[in-house]
Parts: sequence; C-alpha cells; structure tokens
Amino acid sequence: MRPPNISGTSLIPEKAGIGLRFQHHQVMLDTRPDVAWMEVHTENYMGGGTPLRYLDAIRRDTPISLHGVGLSLGSAEGIDPAHLERIRMVAERIEPGLMSEHIAWNVVGGTYLADLLPLPMTEEALEVVCRHVDQTQTYLKRRILVENPSIYVAFGSSIIPEWEFMIAVAASTGCGILCDVNNICVNAHNHGWDASAYIAALPSEAVGEIHLAGHSIKALSDGSTLRVDDHGSRVSEEVWRLYQEALARFGAVPTLIEWDNEIPPLEVLLQEADHAAGFIASAEGARHADAA
Amino acid sequence: MPTLLELQTAMQASLVHRDNEAVSAMLARHITPDRLDIYRNTIVHSLTKALRLSFPVTERLVGEEFFEGAAQFFIAEHPPREAWLDRFGDEFSDFLRSFPQAKSIVYLGDVAELEWAVNGALHAADVAQLDVAALGAVKPEDQSRICFVAHPSVSLLRLAYPVDAIWRAVLARDDEALGKIDIESGLVNLLVERRETGIEVERLDEQSWLFLSNLCAGQPIEAALDTAGHFDCSVVLAEHLALGRFCRFELAAPGTSGFSNSTAA
Repeated sequence: MRPPNISGTSLIPEKAGIGLRFQHHQVMLDTRPDVAWMEVHTENYMGGGTPLRYLDAIRRDTPISLHGVGLSLGSAEGIDPAHLERIRMVAERIEPGLMSEHIAWNVVGGTYLADLLPLPMTEEALEVVCRHVDQTQTYLKRRILVENPSIYVAFGSSIIPEWEFMIAVAASTGCGILCDVNNICVNAHNHGWDASAYIAALPSEAVGEIHLAGHSIKALSDGSTLRVDDHGSRVSEEVWRLYQEALARFGAVPTLIEWDNEIPPLEVLLQEADHAAGFIASAEGARHADAA
Repeated sequence: MPTLLELQTAMQASLVHRDNEAVSAMLARHITPDRLDIYRNTIVHSLTKALRLSFPVTERLVGEEFFEGAAQFFIAEHPPREAWLDRFGDEFSDFLRSFPQAKSIVYLGDVAELEWAVNGALHAADVAQLDVAALGAVKPEDQSRICFVAHPSVSLLRLAYPVDAIWRAVLARDDEALGKIDIESGLVNLLVERRETGIEVERLDEQSWLFLSNLCAGQPIEAALDTAGHFDCSVVLAEHLALGRFCRFELAAPGTSGFSNSTAA
C-alpha cells in the first residue's frame, strides 16, 4: 500500500539542521540559537519526565524529526508491537515533521543487540523489510524514511546491490529514503563501491532527507583499513564533496549534522550546519540559473 | 543459503556469546569474523553507557574500571529484552548481590536497587495526579472502600542498609558524611518519587511505609490501615494526595479486599 504524504512532512524545511543530544538541552533553551530544525533519537524520549519536557520546550520554536534506532525493520521474527506503540506515543506528543528508521536489524530471540546490524542483501530480507515498513506506515498513519546503513562485513548470500535494495524498498512501500552520505562514503571504501554511482542511482523523488557525519579510519591487523561510522568528528572533505553531488542530483533536501561520540559544544554543530547551508544555497542558485 | 532467522541467530551467538562457529560460514569469503568486533564493541559500549547513566552512584562506589568489568558480565548474562535502554538494568541489583567480586561491599546491591527506583521515577510516564475534588464526591460511608492507583513514578523499597544516606553523600561527593554512616544501623523503609521539583528519596517510619505500600498495591483504605496497624492516617493521606502520589481511584466492591493494580492499571 502507498500511504498518503501527510502535510506534517513539510514542517521540516529544506535547510540544514542538527541532531539534538541531551548535552545541549539546556543551552538550546538558554541561548535559543537559530537552528532550522533538529532531529532526536526517538528511543531517548520514551516514557516521561525531564527529557520530554526539554523536547516539548525546544519543539515550540524548532521543528523536530524523530529518528528511530530500535524498531529493527529487518528482524526475521517481526517487529515488536510494544516498541511501535511507544514510537507512536512519542510522535503523538511531539508531532514530528519527519520520522525515519534504518535498513538494519537489532532484535532476535527476544534480545536487543544495541547496534544497527547489517542485513544480508537477499530477496528474503527485502521482503521482510518491505513488510515491516508497510506495517509501520500503516500503524503510524504516515510515511517514513528509511536510512541506508553503514556496513563492516559482507554476507555470502547477498545478491542485491545495496542501492537497489534501497530503491526497491521505497518503490514497494512508498516510503522515502534518508540518504546518509557518510554511510555511502564508508561503505564505498569498505566494500570497493563507487560512492558517486550509488548517489546517482537513487531516485530523487524518494530522497526526503540527507545525513552528514564524521567517520574514523581504523587499521586492521591484516594491514588494511576500515572506515568506521562513529559520528565522532567533523564531516570529512570527501563527504562534503559527495554531499554536493547529492544536492546536484536531489535538489535542496533537509540535511542533518549528526554527532554522537565526543559531542562538541553546540557552536561546532552550528558551524557544520552553516557549512551545509552554504552548499544548499549554491545548489539552489545553480538550479535557478539553469531554469533561467 | 541460511534463512534470515538463521543468520540473525548466528550473529547473536557471535555478538553476545562470542561463538563464531555458525556465523563464520555465512560471511563472505574475504571477511574474517574479527570484523564483528566492531559491532560487539559498540553493543558493549552502548549498554555500559546506559548502565552508567542509571547507576552513577554504584559506579562511583566501585570505580570506573570495576564497573565496566561488572557491566560486561551483566550484559552477557542479562542482555536487554527491548530497544528502550532507559529500562535496561532491572536485574543489575540482584546481579551485584551475587557477584563474587563485589562481595566485600555488602550494601552495593541495595544502592543499585535504590538507583534503579530513582531511574524508574526519572523516566516514568507523565500522568496527571488524582483530582482531589473527585474524592470529595465519595459518600462518607463509602470512603473506606477507596482504592488508589499509584503514580507510575512512585516506588517503595525496604532495604537492609542505609543506602539513602550513602546515595546522598556520594552524589554530593561528601566523603565526611559518607564516613560517618553506620552501615549496620538496620533496615530502611524508603519512598522514591518524582515531584515537580525533581526526584525525592524519603525515609518513612514503619507504619507510614506499610500503609502507603498497601495503598499502592491497590488495597482499600480500611484494609491498608488494618495491616499497617491502626494509626491516624489523615495527615499522611493528605500529604500523599497533595504530592500527587496517586493518579486515580476506584471503589472496591463492598466486602472485597480491593483490586489488583496489575489488572486495573
């Protein structure tokens, strides 16, 4: 089924926003910086108490996107209805402009493995993910975006290229794509893909958001290196270049700066968002020039 | 070719129990199982961080390194059952009580139990407190049959050591106060709750604690008083209501012993 695009989606502007983390709750309220929009991890605002109060207050001035990490769209055993209901309750209270999840899994045998784990790129996994995206969109009564993963292993059974997997999920369920440019960069290095070709393959009309973040380079014992998507530094030059390619292809898209480890002062995140905003403005300028 | 469930079960065996046998055969030929360390490390890091946030005083009592070690054992034995890490750690106090390496700190499990109640109060759902005006509408002859439903932030603990004093001293980094605590001073009856102003941990006398415990378990006022030993409950009841310790009430059918909160909540 293809759920309707709800009007709430337009609440997130096609501008640069930043990920809101607990460290910045108070400074957000004290300084009220000019931020186009913010995104939070849905799981950090379940239940009640202080975190939700901060989010309620920040929400008054700033559109919020809810980004889930625990729904486990790729679980063979199905998604947890209790978790889906908790997500719905956060959404009911916060009225987010966008909601998103990952092409990943983390629940099996009643255990939550607290990371975004890789799926084999198989027909079975594709069918499972599509079923769960359908279920989620039906339950939440809105369209969601799904994010392309960062991956450190490969499975022998994988036969579908990851970008085709993403395209198929969007085509089958009507969901949007959250294009994480850093993840594409990381995977291209780790698996020998062409990052530009990946971006070029994605359908523009499906891409509803872009993520940018820093990654690190880890030396492995066999002398090779692995890119690790640790969200612990500034966006790399290479990812900024790929981001410009993405903007040229997709047009202005809401873009998020993510930072989860060794979180810097809010100013640093605002600087990174400003940098992204500059690229969005140039991309828009180029489009207008083309049109004229 | 493995099914998705077989692959996910094999990944779990590797990531939680370090058993790579099944998963090795599923990885592409050029990938060695040590690549899975990245996921394993992230999982342990995230879960340890979640425990650290919920048990800061426990961590300060044993030190960072010991805490991380204990967390690793705990995570392997009691991995989270749901993707809501604010609720991860309910078995940590019992785990610490039976953790041989922590045996010398006899009160450690009790401290963790108090911290778990504090954590529960911090993250409890936002529920409106009982409308006291509605209570006024109950006819005087029916008042003994009033059963309350406790606010989700309220918990009542009976612990063997004076861990409220320990908790306060450690949080205040007051070593002098910590040194003065008499560990063998006996049982404490505690009330933990979230108020408008923040989290409160209060020590109650035996009767008040029993009375409130009975009420929170859904007993009608009269039955709750019977087991608590009769005392003038009007002052404490007024305080419970004023501070929002209940979120609603029902009337028990005449002659019954109230309802069970597990079905009525």
